[in-house]
Amino acid sequence: MNHGIGVDIAFFLLAVLAIYSGWRVFCTDSMVRASFFLLVSFIAVGAIMLLLTAVYLGVAMFFMMAVEMMVMALFMVMFMMNPAGLNPMKMVHQERVAMAVGAVGFMVLGAMALFAEFPERPLPADLEPVAALGRELLGESMLIFESAGIVLLTTMIGVVVLSSHRGRYGGAETGSVPPGLMPGGEPAGQPAQGEDSEGGHQHHHH
Amino acid sequence: MAVSWLRRLAARAPVPVFPALGVHGDAMLRELALDPGVELVGSPRHASVLLVAGGVPPDQHAALRRVHDQVPRPFATLWWRSEPLDGLENATRIDAPSALSDALIAAHRDVMLGRRGSSPRLLPDEPPNPWEGLGDDGHGGEGMMGGVPYGRPMAMNMHDDLRDGLTLDSLTFRLGPFFPALPPGMQAEVTLQGDLVQTWAVQHAPYPLGLDAVFFDARQQPVSIAELELARARYHLYRLFHGLWLAGLESVGLHVLRLARSLTPDSRVDGLRRRLARCGFFDLTMTASAALDDEQARQIGGPAARAAGLADDLRSEDANYRRLGFTPVCQQEGNTRARWWQALAEIDQSLALARQAAARDVQTSEVGSVETPRGPWREGQRPQDASHLLDELLPGLEWGEALAAIASLDLAAVSEWPLDASVAEPRTTPPEEYRA
Amino acid sequence: MIWEQLVLPTLTVLLALGIGAYAVAVLDRLIAGALGLSRAGSAWLAPLARGAWLLTQSANVTEAPDWQAWRLAPLLYLMLAAVGLALVPWSASLVATDLATSVVLWGSVEALATVVIFLHGWSANAPLALIGAYRYVALGLSYILISMFVLIGVALPAESLQFTQVVASQAELWNVIRQPLGLPLFLIVGLGVSFWGPLNLADSTDLAGGTASEVSGPPRLAWNLARAAMLVAFSGVAATVFLGGWLGPWLPGPLWLVLKMFAVLLALLLAGRLLPRLSPERCVTLMWVVLLPLSFVDLVWAGLEALL
Repeated sequence: MNHGIGVDIAFFLLAVLAIYSGWRVFCTDSMVRASFFLLVSFIAVGAIMLLLTAVYLGVAMFFMMAVEMMVMALFMVMFMMNPAGLNPMKMVHQERVAMAVGAVGFMVLGAMALFAEFPERPLPADLEPVAALGRELLGESMLIFESAGIVLLTTMIGVVVLSSHRGRYGGAETGSVPPGLMPGGEPAGQPAQGEDSEGGHQHHHH
Repeated sequence: MAVSWLRRLAARAPVPVFPALGVHGDAMLRELALDPGVELVGSPRHASVLLVAGGVPPDQHAALRRVHDQVPRPFATLWWRSEPLDGLENATRIDAPSALSDALIAAHRDVMLGRRGSSPRLLPDEPPNPWEGLGDDGHGGEGMMGGVPYGRPMAMNMHDDLRDGLTLDSLTFRLGPFFPALPPGMQAEVTLQGDLVQTWAVQHAPYPLGLDAVFFDARQQPVSIAELELARARYHLYRLFHGLWLAGLESVGLHVLRLARSLTPDSRVDGLRRRLARCGFFDLTMTASAALDDEQARQIGGPAARAAGLADDLRSEDANYRRLGFTPVCQQEGNTRARWWQALAEIDQSLALARQAAARDVQTSEVGSVETPRGPWREGQRPQDASHLLDELLPGLEWGEALAAIASLDLAAVSEWPLDASVAEPRTTPPEEYRA
Repeated sequence: MIWEQLVLPTLTVLLALGIGAYAVAVLDRLIAGALGLSRAGSAWLAPLARGAWLLTQSANVTEAPDWQAWRLAPLLYLMLAAVGLALVPWSASLVATDLATSVVLWGSVEALATVVIFLHGWSANAPLALIGAYRYVALGLSYILISMFVLIGVALPAESLQFTQVVASQAELWNVIRQPLGLPLFLIVGLGVSFWGPLNLADSTDLAGGTASEVSGPPRLAWNLARAAMLVAFSGVAATVFLGGWLGPWLPGPLWLVLKMFAVLLALLLAGRLLPRLSPERCVTLMWVVLLPLSFVDLVWAGLEALL
């Protein structure tokens, strides 16, 4: 072990911070607060990863969790019936099951840490953590994966743009209809409309 | 020692002033905006001096008290042509416009150097409703539905979302009458989802506008068209200043103010229009929202109606205007962007008319009715308040679009008292109802 | 040992933070004065006087705010700016934190800035501040992807995620020329991360100051300081990844970097004064439909250039 006392102190402080903020997640009454306590917990874990010289994984943890928790908090505010971003609410449900699962999970992981035999493989001096991780994860298919990632993202954005309310024929809220086949003609591709066949629809008279 | 050194330094900062505008107070605001020693701020929290400009009607004194207490201590108050509130008998009152800027600077300096105490609190510092939440830090609630803090109704969404189907909490609050982005005196109860306006209910109409005295004279006797048109152009430039300030283009806004101050028939606004178009003011900041239909446009009248394609203008009924080749300029869309195009087009037209009229010294031929920059003033029928139209116009707009739409619309009634030109001496005493 | 690993880097970052934020305030005022928005007093003294005034003003209290988040947010934002500055290499050897993944760490600074700015508005428990917070999240989630693609683009020729390597890879040709789309896109990200000028959606005039509308006194000073510091940190990163960092003839490396940071700051502050604030909807559409595809093009350009 060739690390200094500073690393040990930092590890214990970060571990305490991770556990404390993880615990606060379940004590707070607001989903926004809960999300950001979870974020603090993840950041502490990410910093511990940096101490373990997993440089890329630690920093990627900051990056991903920041965006993820922000999106999560906002989506909860948007979609929940009582968005706890503004009003307080009870955040825990089915406490007994959750506590039992948590305790079992902790014991299993703790047992693994205590009783498993870890191989003794000191880091080589010329290790390049980022490049090594990339080769480990993606190997020869790196270019394919990277290209596929960008293509997927482009597709997602394209889908959102196409399905948003601004359609090809104008805004959805203004009742967009495709143009006619002839100038001034009936909208193309619409089912024929009979006066009496639309019982369920509302008629607007202006 | 350290503190006094800090305070001496703080006294040298430009004075952050929050203007609470009363009746006809906006004229003073435009003078202060050009003053290098004064910085106008948008929130009372950011101010060192609270300036109450113009008389505040008694039913808005409660709101003024709340604004007063929102200014962080230490702060001073200054009352320009306005009677200080009860409890502030020692506050400074100023009537002469030339002394205002110096008085503001002196007030800030005196408060910083301890020569004058901070203005006292007027209201008890406690929440309007007692706290009724649960838990240690007062955030407690029970069950899925949460608590009911302050005895307020739950922030449930009572309405379906108007635009994109993402339903957020509805949030209802009151804004005004001293919110600087609204017309002076206007108060509204707003319900928002996220930053989307769900409902907008005007509770207090804005204060009546003070027009230049020349529009009043034009109803009595023939007046010089050049003078009338310059006053009109100046009025629209002032509105443009407000719109630019709201859009975060303060430097161009001050340029517009300086132009308005030194306006002559030979002034040009082509450069200004090009500059605004180039920096994206029309395309990226102003949106094609808040379009008026014909009925709404007719109710508001004036430039807003002409921006919606109605070519109504009393000037076309005046023989001398017709001789100058006057035809109303119009836009078609009637939305926020079209209204700003219209404002620039009207300024341009007014300057062109003023140039021709000054060269030939033409006077108006019609008396009795006059086209004011706010709208047509027919026999005995001043342009009336139309702010209730906002209630139907704004729902469904984003906050920024809504405020840009309000800035582009001119909805207040025209006051029966002219604005004292150059804010020098009051021509008439203000009506009794507004004397606070 | 301690001097080189702890004191010197900390001192560098703090100095850059303080002097940089002051320089931003002075520069912005000089630009405003040149554009006709003159204020009384000397531009050199005004930021200090303003700071002194905010220190004497009492800190405001709203009704039931989230105290922890409200008071911490300005400090956290300042800390993020400090982290950003710590990553900037002043010369081949003078770097506060020469992390192997410093490019990604800068990305997380941008992502966490979104969180902190949202918290600043959300925790005040006031409607206008809350709108500012919501708006900023829409902006923040939009610019972060652009930023990532642009930064991956500069990491490609360097074959490293380390800022020092990125600078070294520009010894022959600066990235601003090698990837012409990169710097303009990245400058927009910079306006976003410090919500400055046209992208000031969070603290705008139509919200009476937005997330800061309820803040006064020392917390407001910290918030303004943090914004200026973030602008400085961004200009440091932009100068490093696009303008060749410390590289340059005749002058010492750190001086070159300062000059390049100054140029970036000048561009950002000018944009802040000359352009109006974008309407939020336009802004988000522009980001996703125009700028993000452009950042794809930038990345493909960088990839092809690296392959050839």
